Amino acid sequence: MAELQSVWGWQPALYLFLGGMGAGAFVVAALLYFLDRQSNRKTICIASWAATACLVAGLLLLLSELTNPLRGMLLWQSFSNGTSWMTFGAWVVFAAVIVFGLMAVLSTEQWVKPVSKKWKGYPKARNRMRSVLAVVGIALGLCVAVYTGILLMSVPGVPLWNTLLLPCLFTVSALDTGAALVEIVAVAPKRAVLSNKTHRLLEASVMVLVVLEVVVLAAFLATMQGSDLTTATGATAAASARLLAQGMLAPFFWLLVGACGLALPLAMAIAGMVLRKRRKSGRTAMLVGAAGALVGGCALRFLVLMAGLHADVVAQAVSKIVS
Amino acid sequence: MRDDTGIPRRTLLQGAAVLGATALAGGAVGATRKAAFAEDGKAGAAPQDAEAATSQGGMQYGFLVRMSNCVNCQQCVEACRKANGTPEDVPARRAVTPYTTANGQKVYVSTSCMHCEDPACATVCPARAITKGEGGVVTVDHDRCIGCKYCYQACPFGVPHYTSAGMDKCDLCLEAGVALGEAPNCVQACKFRALHFGTIDELVAGSGGRAKKIEASTGPSYVLL
Repeated sequence: MAELQSVWGWQPALYLFLGGMGAGAFVVAALLYFLDRQSNRKTICIASWAATACLVAGLLLLLSELTNPLRGMLLWQSFSNGTSWMTFGAWVVFAAVIVFGLMAVLSTEQWVKPVSKKWKGYPKARNRMRSVLAVVGIALGLCVAVYTGILLMSVPGVPLWNTLLLPCLFTVSALDTGAALVEIVAVAPKRAVLSNKTHRLLEASVMVLVVLEVVVLAAFLATMQGSDLTTATGATAAASARLLAQGMLAPFFWLLVGACGLALPLAMAIAGMVLRKRRKSGRTAMLVGAAGALVGGCALRFLVLMAGLHADVVAQAVSKIVS
Repeated sequence: MRDDTGIPRRTLLQGAAVLGATALAGGAVGATRKAAFAEDGKAGAAPQDAEAATSQGGMQYGFLVRMSNCVNCQQCVEACRKANGTPEDVPARRAVTPYTTANGQKVYVSTSCMHCEDPACATVCPARAITKGEGGVVTVDHDRCIGCKYCYQACPFGVPHYTSAGMDKCDLCLEAGVALGEAPNCVQACKFRALHFGTIDELVAGSGGRAKKIEASTGPSYVLL
């Protein structure tokens, strides 16, 4: 039986999840900002803080995984190789933390009055700055979401990860989990009332993203299982996919990713739409669906990391020479 | 674990997606390559001219394993561990792996870092801690390594291990005091003449052209016979 990948443990897996979720949450919050910033002001504020906290927590987790965390903090030295996607990612996440954090600070209503007393033009400048930060933040958020997949894709040693479908999968999942986090932030307060526009945007996002994720995930598994079994890398890609779909990771994959992460949010989004037509809030349905999406997104990162086996390239060379 | 029941037969066609410019300038090294071979034609001769022996076009040191001679005595592994002071709880820089071929033959292969022509570990290392230098040797700068373990994932052979000082892998015993071009401790310890060291061209030529390179997208400097 194949040994699971364990050199990268739970910290990188959680980092990939938090990075994706935080980036996705900011993208969705920024879209709400442009859609209806007045009625969503609390959601935008809390979601921006949550997105920032996710990225900071992710970075701290990554640092804790390093054998030399202190040296890792010397960003300009430790992330200086332009050919490494980790370098790109470190700087993009760092920039995203700043932009998300600034958006969070500027979106905090309680701080508007005290600052306005000292700076009269603040309310106007604040709106302008927030619009710029929202646009820049969407771009950075998308970069972070894509990067969490490219980080894995760019290693030739692990056949399961070495495909463009992985960044696609992680990006869709990042937006999906991000939307779920925003949903929780939006409806968790007991007296929260969402406008119809916001409801429709969130529910439609969940439905589109879940369907898209199912398609990408199916393509990912099918491609891997259909790899050329006569090569060491092809055989390992297929073995990794089997681990997920049929092997020892399958119960977790189907229950946590399939049922919790995809089927449940889709069912709850549909249920929410039906309930709202019957003039009920659908709040519980949204919360349950969002919680399922977060569990599924987190499990996906852990399972893909664990199934990332190395191919036995030497075995193939030996076979070729001996025969 | 690796004593497998069915080794794939065909040539590896690895679809590598190593991104980013490797910036290995091809020009200006052709002339020095000739000079390097003229000066250091034999195994064991240390190149005097660092410029002439850079990775981009100079000589490339590597290993040859005569599989029929290896009896899995583990002397190479022990010599490596001792010379390089590998901690007890970390795998040695070298390992002997048994393989059973499709026709039931059991063979042993001693492997370490393959000092690839285009090392994926160096490409992905964010800290520029891994470099390919004189003699094509891939080395780690322990003052730069942050221990992110990205190099392990990138290496097609899963070679890198990690100690508290960061990444740990074969450097042809350079840090252990063996001069470049001289046989590393593992080769010196092999009593069955299974493990050989030299430039790849010499090793292949010495086998009458029968030794074959291990194939991977990174171009390993490791030949089997």
